[in-house]
Amino acid sequence: MQKRLLNGGLLALAIGIVAGIGLASAYPTKPITLIVPFPPGGSTDIVGRVVADGLAKELGQPVVVENRGGAGGTVGTAVAAKATPDGHTLSIGTTSTHAVGPATLPKVAFDPVKNFAPITLVAETPYVLVVNNKVPAKTVAELIALVKAQPGKFNYGSAGAGSTTHLAGAMFAHAAGLKMEHIAYNGNGPATTALLSGEVQVLMGSMPAVLNQIKSGAIRVLAVGTVRRSPELPDVPTMQQAGVKGFEASLWLGVVAPAGTPDAIVKQLHAAILKAVKNPDVAKRLRAAGAEPVTSSPKEMGDQIKTNLSKYIELAKVIGIAKKK
Amino acid sequence: MEFLDNLALGFNVALSPTTLLYCMIGVTVGMFIGVLPGIGPIATVGMLLPITFHMRPTEAIIMLAGIYYGAMYGGSITAILLKLPGTAASAVTVVEGYPMAQQGRAGPALVMTTIASFFGACVAIVIVAAFAPPLAQFALRFQSPEYFSLMMVGLIAAAVLAHGSLLKGLAMAVLGLVIGCIGQDRNTGLPRFTFDIGELYEGVQFVVVVVAMFGLAEIIHNLALGGKHEILARRVPLRDLIPSREDLRISFWPMVRGSALGAVIGILPGAGPAISSFASYALEKQLARDPSRFGKGAMEGLVAPEAANNADSQAAFIPTLTLGVPGDATTAIILAAMLIHGITPGPKITTDAPQLFWGLIASFWIGNLVLLVLNLPFIGLWVRMLSIPYRILFPCVLLFSCIGVLSLNNDAFDVYLAAAFGVAGYVFLKLGCEATPLLLGLILGPMVEENFRRSLQLSRGDPTIFLTRPISLAFILVGVFLIVLVVAPGLRRRKQAQSST
Repeated sequence: MQKRLLNGGLLALAIGIVAGIGLASAYPTKPITLIVPFPPGGSTDIVGRVVADGLAKELGQPVVVENRGGAGGTVGTAVAAKATPDGHTLSIGTTSTHAVGPATLPKVAFDPVKNFAPITLVAETPYVLVVNNKVPAKTVAELIALVKAQPGKFNYGSAGAGSTTHLAGAMFAHAAGLKMEHIAYNGNGPATTALLSGEVQVLMGSMPAVLNQIKSGAIRVLAVGTVRRSPELPDVPTMQQAGVKGFEASLWLGVVAPAGTPDAIVKQLHAAILKAVKNPDVAKRLRAAGAEPVTSSPKEMGDQIKTNLSKYIELAKVIGIAKKK
Repeated sequence: MEFLDNLALGFNVALSPTTLLYCMIGVTVGMFIGVLPGIGPIATVGMLLPITFHMRPTEAIIMLAGIYYGAMYGGSITAILLKLPGTAASAVTVVEGYPMAQQGRAGPALVMTTIASFFGACVAIVIVAAFAPPLAQFALRFQSPEYFSLMMVGLIAAAVLAHGSLLKGLAMAVLGLVIGCIGQDRNTGLPRFTFDIGELYEGVQFVVVVVAMFGLAEIIHNLALGGKHEILARRVPLRDLIPSREDLRISFWPMVRGSALGAVIGILPGAGPAISSFASYALEKQLARDPSRFGKGAMEGLVAPEAANNADSQAAFIPTLTLGVPGDATTAIILAAMLIHGITPGPKITTDAPQLFWGLIASFWIGNLVLLVLNLPFIGLWVRMLSIPYRILFPCVLLFSCIGVLSLNNDAFDVYLAAAFGVAGYVFLKLGCEATPLLLGLILGPMVEENFRRSLQLSRGDPTIFLTRPISLAFILVGVFLIVLVVAPGLRRRKQAQSST
């Protein structure tokens, strides 16, 4: 009797192991959901869809994009944090969802560091300093001099109070010691329109939202916020090159899984996404949408999240939109 | 002459077999998703975007655009038959369309909305083709103060919209404003009335309220009547489907006015087709000789908004194509598709990408023609939907409403919210309070507030900014005129009453 039980136990154990191995090697067993925590049509959505399309080809399973917009991406990210950590639910993590949102919003239902297993960065897009064509400044230094000469006259736009473009703009004003009025709009599109019409003179815009107007000559670009120049705008200096010391503002996007996702799956996904992003077609589409393809190790992305989080918590305090608890 | 050459080029592109096929796929898909309540063009266009990566740019854009304007046709079908608007822009179609269906005039109502849609689209296409670049520059003169004054006129029109008691109408409009306050404050980023519920940060979705207050409330109302819901369940002979000569005659000028209004509002990137349809409804009611017919199946109040929302969705391509600024979420995705395909929208698009620009314009016209041809034969079928026994019909309507609301953000919270608004809508129905002013308050409230505060921020607190800018001043004067129009008859009556005593 006892022996039988033992046998039964061993058998169950064996089945368990075999099933476990079978499961691991068979991943993905069903379509993968990629949560895009923003509404359709924005740059995060487009990057998400381009990556999903490429990843589906690498994994041989459909990758379904699920838009869960709301509260700077934190609503959808909270859903992703609570998903079953089996690699079948992933989400797009960005500067907004994993740093700016948690730094500025009063209540966020996840911990951007503890609740996630980062996989890889997939794209980076600089915030670019753009001005209305009627603004006479041709360089960052000229703009700074102009704003200082006419205090209280200049307005800078953003895609919303507490949005990444607001913080990037405030970061510029703070770093250059400028006094400009912040005017919030309902998204990147309206903010760009306001810059075009001259309602605001300055915008720290997200590249995908303004690249098109820069190319058509409707607005003028003065600098890019990344540490390196953008391949899309090779003639445009970085903020640091233009003399704004220590300035670095970019929107990075990566793929994250819920914390507790098995290492083997994270590795498999990492390899597959890397291959997808390096595919020339995928890379071309990302660039066309204003996002430069980048990749990283899971640890590098984790470090990126940590350093950005503390940086934006600090900035939010300085400019006075620190969260109230 | 150059214009004709351009059009010839456009039709050359749009009539090539594959382009024509994608155009037809686009408008057909668009029409059907327009029929399903809640499932809007945004989700569909978003879902189809990756497919277009593997298509030629012109064909891709033509297909996505077809879905966008095709949805405007479908949206009115369920609005008229089931009091369930398929899209936000067809909310106002319910007001006249549903009473017409109840009077057994569903056929003429559907035929006339289809004709009005086609008419509105055609007017707007001509405007887009002829004047796109200069109109886009005009749109840029609309800044925050102008939007504020324009929206204020709309809000005043909300009072005009009320059918019964003015007091109830105002109360509903104010309630709409209050609901519109829910969510993150645009100007400061602070949450208001969100009760720490993350889902409420972006505010209450308009479509949730529309589906609930009209569709769900009507289901509760019909079920409460018990087995008496038999008004609709009779066979409609084909003869009754065709609108009378009289219908066509009284519809003509409202369609013209609706198209013009829709085309103008469509050019403004910050407005949207729902505003066009509400505005043209209010205009028709003002102009009508006998406004008391409105709300009881007045043809003018049905065709004008339909012409307007279709004109709007075509004209919305002006800022999208020539400024690279999307008018709403759907055009944002179409814009993204252009960027991915390496097309740079901007003032020079007519010369940089003439094939795309003129091909798209020609495809608009072909697409609308396809929609007209596609819609008319279906009407007999749609009307027959009403002869389905209600015990079978209502669970289907309920199911589709839930799917539609869920698809907005893939969030069950919206479904619960719709259930709550459905119950509230039934209570309002019983109290004799119209839902329309509430909806208008809900759309306009947040825009009025946002633009008001932004204008004052820009003027550094000086309120004369609304009066010193000519366009803004003009709207303010229109608003004052409307108030006088509404108040004056009441005052005169009171004076007469005083003098007679």
